[in-house]
Amino acid sequence: MNHIVNVGDLKLGGNGDLLVTHALGSCLGLMVYDPVAKVGALLHAMLPLSSINPQKAQANPAMFVDTGVPLLFHSLYERGAVKGRLVSKAAGCGNPMGKNETFKIGERNYTVLKKLLWKNNVLLEAEDVGGTNSRTIHFNVTSGEVTLSTGGDKRLL
Amino acid sequence: MMLKEHPIGAQVEKFPSMPGAAVKLLALVDEPGVSVPQIESILRQDPGLTANLLRLANSAYFGIPSKVGSVRQAVILLGLKRVVQMVIATCTSAIMDRTVPGYDLPAGELWRHSLAVSVAAEGLVRELKLDAAAEIFTAALLHDIGKIVLGQFVQDDYAKIALALEQGLAFETAESIVLGINHAEIGAQVLSKWSLPEGIVHAVRWHHEPEKAERTDPMLDVVHVANMLCLMIGIGVGRDGLNYLPSPVVTKRLGLTTSHLEKVASQTLQWASELSQALAA
Repeated sequence: MNHIVNVGDLKLGGNGDLLVTHALGSCLGLMVYDPVAKVGALLHAMLPLSSINPQKAQANPAMFVDTGVPLLFHSLYERGAVKGRLVSKAAGCGNPMGKNETFKIGERNYTVLKKLLWKNNVLLEAEDVGGTNSRTIHFNVTSGEVTLSTGGDKRLL
Repeated sequence: MMLKEHPIGAQVEKFPSMPGAAVKLLALVDEPGVSVPQIESILRQDPGLTANLLRLANSAYFGIPSKVGSVRQAVILLGLKRVVQMVIATCTSAIMDRTVPGYDLPAGELWRHSLAVSVAAEGLVRELKLDAAAEIFTAALLHDIGKIVLGQFVQDDYAKIALALEQGLAFETAESIVLGINHAEIGAQVLSKWSLPEGIVHAVRWHHEPEKAERTDPMLDVVHVANMLCLMIGIGVGRDGLNYLPSPVVTKRLGLTTSHLEKVASQTLQWASELSQALAA
């Protein structure tokens, strides 16, 4: 089945599922997969830190990287995933042109992600981050394949 | 300026005109002593309009606790300016709901973007405690209307535009170089033909290049920022991606910080969906 992951959303899938998220601009797309348990999760987080709007974070932890990433891993463990087998990939975190730091939300999303992963001894197997393109992700939970589309181009991540 | 004989200019000429009721209401906004019956009689010409207006007035976005049941109540509770904004939104949703080629926006996406930029702009005005004109809602709502005219031309010449982007140019600059005009300028021409207030036309014309505008205006600055923000959070971001330049001058002029942006971003989706549900019902 196809599951669309909206902005500020986390979805899990099993064998036979396709997790899809569109229009990753500055947002982070994080795809994590357990090839043995055949379970995967896709997070589309908008902003780096939940402290900017704690009320919103309580209602929707997937909106923020610092609350969405732990939620993703815990949800996977609940579905039988095992930490040592997980394959993690990241996409998105783009920024507008120029050097205007105020608008570098994508860069901050990526920094918070890396800090969290580093603290928890998780390495990214693959990533396609930064730049000015909008990205779409198709995550096939049967095979673990993550397909990245930008403009007219498609490739495996 | 684009000649009428030019294919793009011809499309501007052919672009649908704004519905009569909206034009008449707009003309009333600045007249002193406008009466509610005058407004009611204009809206009565189009029965769907009143129904849509009331649905919007009752949407969660405005947070009016009691039910708005008549045009009179809507004008009293929301004010005439808001009512006119809602009428314009109702009248333009059908035009802006279409698929937009070139920018690769599926049906509904440009409209979703337009609503999101409107509520984000109003959110920024509150967050930054700015004194911006009430028309900011409409300026934000219609800022990308030129994309509808230019989309097919962007698609036809995309290879050339892509080459210009590879040189590090912003998308609207690539449009200007390849097509002779960009979507912001086209939008301004359409809205000028619709006789919208000059401030709105000005904000739409310079929404990507606020530093080139002949005068400064908080409405323009905020539309520039709100548009960038909504593209970044993936609402209405198409093939043009984030190939735009947020102005450092505007950032400084507004006193804009990261936390202003992120605070507004965290609420924009909810505000936009509250409004769009009322329009889609």
